[in-house]
Amino acid sequence: MRQRRIFGAALPLLGAAAFLLFLVFPLYWMLLTSFKGNSALFRIPPEWFPSEPVLSHYKKLFADNVFTTYYRNSLLVGFGSTAITLIAAMFAGYGFSRFEFRFKSLAMFSILSTQMLPVVSLLIALYTIYNGYGLLNTRTGLVIALTTASLPFSIWMIKVFFDNIPVALEESAKIDGASRFGILFRIVMPLTKPGIFSIGIYSFILSWDDFLYSLTLINKDELRTLNAGISIRYIGELSYDWASIMTVCVTSIVPISLLFLFFQKYMVSGLTAGAVKG
Amino acid sequence: MHKPVQLERRGVRLSEKAKDAIFLAVIICPAFILLLSTIGIPIVKSLYMSFFQVSLLSMKSQVWNSFDNYKQLFADGDFVHSIGVTFRYVFSVVAIQFVLGMALALILNGKIPFRRALRTVILIPWVVPTIIGALLWMWLFQPQYGVLNYILQSLHLIDQPLQWLSDMQLALWAVMLAALWKQLPFMVTMLLAGMQGIPGDMYEAATIDGASKRQQFLYITLPMLKDTIKTVTLIACIENFKMFPLFWIMTSGGPVDATTTLAIFSYKTAFIDLDLGKGAAIGALWLIIMLLFSWGYNRLFAIGEGKGGSAH
Repeated sequence: MRQRRIFGAALPLLGAAAFLLFLVFPLYWMLLTSFKGNSALFRIPPEWFPSEPVLSHYKKLFADNVFTTYYRNSLLVGFGSTAITLIAAMFAGYGFSRFEFRFKSLAMFSILSTQMLPVVSLLIALYTIYNGYGLLNTRTGLVIALTTASLPFSIWMIKVFFDNIPVALEESAKIDGASRFGILFRIVMPLTKPGIFSIGIYSFILSWDDFLYSLTLINKDELRTLNAGISIRYIGELSYDWASIMTVCVTSIVPISLLFLFFQKYMVSGLTAGAVKG
Repeated sequence: MHKPVQLERRGVRLSEKAKDAIFLAVIICPAFILLLSTIGIPIVKSLYMSFFQVSLLSMKSQVWNSFDNYKQLFADGDFVHSIGVTFRYVFSVVAIQFVLGMALALILNGKIPFRRALRTVILIPWVVPTIIGALLWMWLFQPQYGVLNYILQSLHLIDQPLQWLSDMQLALWAVMLAALWKQLPFMVTMLLAGMQGIPGDMYEAATIDGASKRQQFLYITLPMLKDTIKTVTLIACIENFKMFPLFWIMTSGGPVDATTTLAIFSYKTAFIDLDLGKGAAIGALWLIIMLLFSWGYNRLFAIGEGKGGSAH
């Protein structure tokens, strides 16, 4: 009996340790590899701690202009699509939260079901449309495409936040003679800050994660984003340069992890609000 | 929702209503235009294109080819094969993810040291871009120098180094492992959030009535989590149906066609073989599959709910 109780208490700990190992060890290995010199890299048994860490991979990476270009493009595209998503989602979410109109539930449903559409259908048509309007190989085109990837769920998430703000506040402001936009910007928006943060982070993460759109819609090297750039430069070679690849990976994760650590609270609350209540 | 004050004169009330309508139109407009122009119109256009012979090299000339795109798809068998691979991948990865996610969520919902820190740390793989995850796992899977083969060999679980990504039988599972690593955190976080919404006194009452932990899980936790489970598993299914980067980076659909999912097959057809029409036809059939799938999904979760259809 006593043994069983000890076992029962230890089981969750063991389980947690196993999951932690599975989720965190690969990240540790990535970091470790990026500091390994070429002789340490292919040593068997592998080194579990860096015995002589080297910075040469990082130096090489930052000396490479192409890489910094990809990085800048990713940031530009990420901020661009986040900004547009924020504005469009905030307005639409507010409309859906506060007003009743015909076909409202149909509209909400269609917005969400766009998530299910096969990406390649969209890409094929977008490619031909963009080709016609000269939007292929432009950052603007990519930003617009990525915005629509994050917009549907963002509208849902922010709507939940608006739903939780009492209408009475707006009504009293209205009686005081505030305009509709005044109410939205000065009264409702400050109260929805957590929601705005969470959709902002959500859309930035999504755009930082994008691979397919940038691979298809951009084929000029100076406009490529990080993910597409990495795949084109490092994949498909005969021998992979693993230390350099892991170095790029670490560098690519840094901004997104910082963002995550700072705004973690908002992100989790936003996503759970959207998914659980939606 | 702004109820006009009843005492106001009729003319004023109407104009208030009209103002509301204009305001609504203005604020819905940006999202509507964006979604229409990058999703609505493209999806219709792509359905239309699926009936024509369109090549990436000659997009101007669209020739009606009397369902030839569709005929080809059903004739060469690659399409059906890729549907099989997709479903095997989606169901396995979501099922495993759900079971493991539930286990970890239960652990983190209980009394365990460093709970808060653990919750943060385990979320990190979720923000790692998918292609970075793919590259990372390729390095772990690397046959000669990869750490995974080394660990398995020194634990004497395998004799020979495994060719993870170039083995016909193993490749799909290897990709699933990488997908699991990336997606498990989201699943856990959502299930955990759902669990925390269950009032604690339900468990207290159950404990007083002598219900075991297992009974509490089966008769309180699971039923209370039903909506959360439905949402997160659906999100996971949709995400994995569309999964492109993991396969493209890790296997490019190979070895041979062992990991050629619909996403890979359609991309290859449209943008490598440059056959946009056939690619669009795959997309159209894929759309039908998704519609059937979501219909079936709602049915599945409607079982035992009394009334048919979903509760939304």
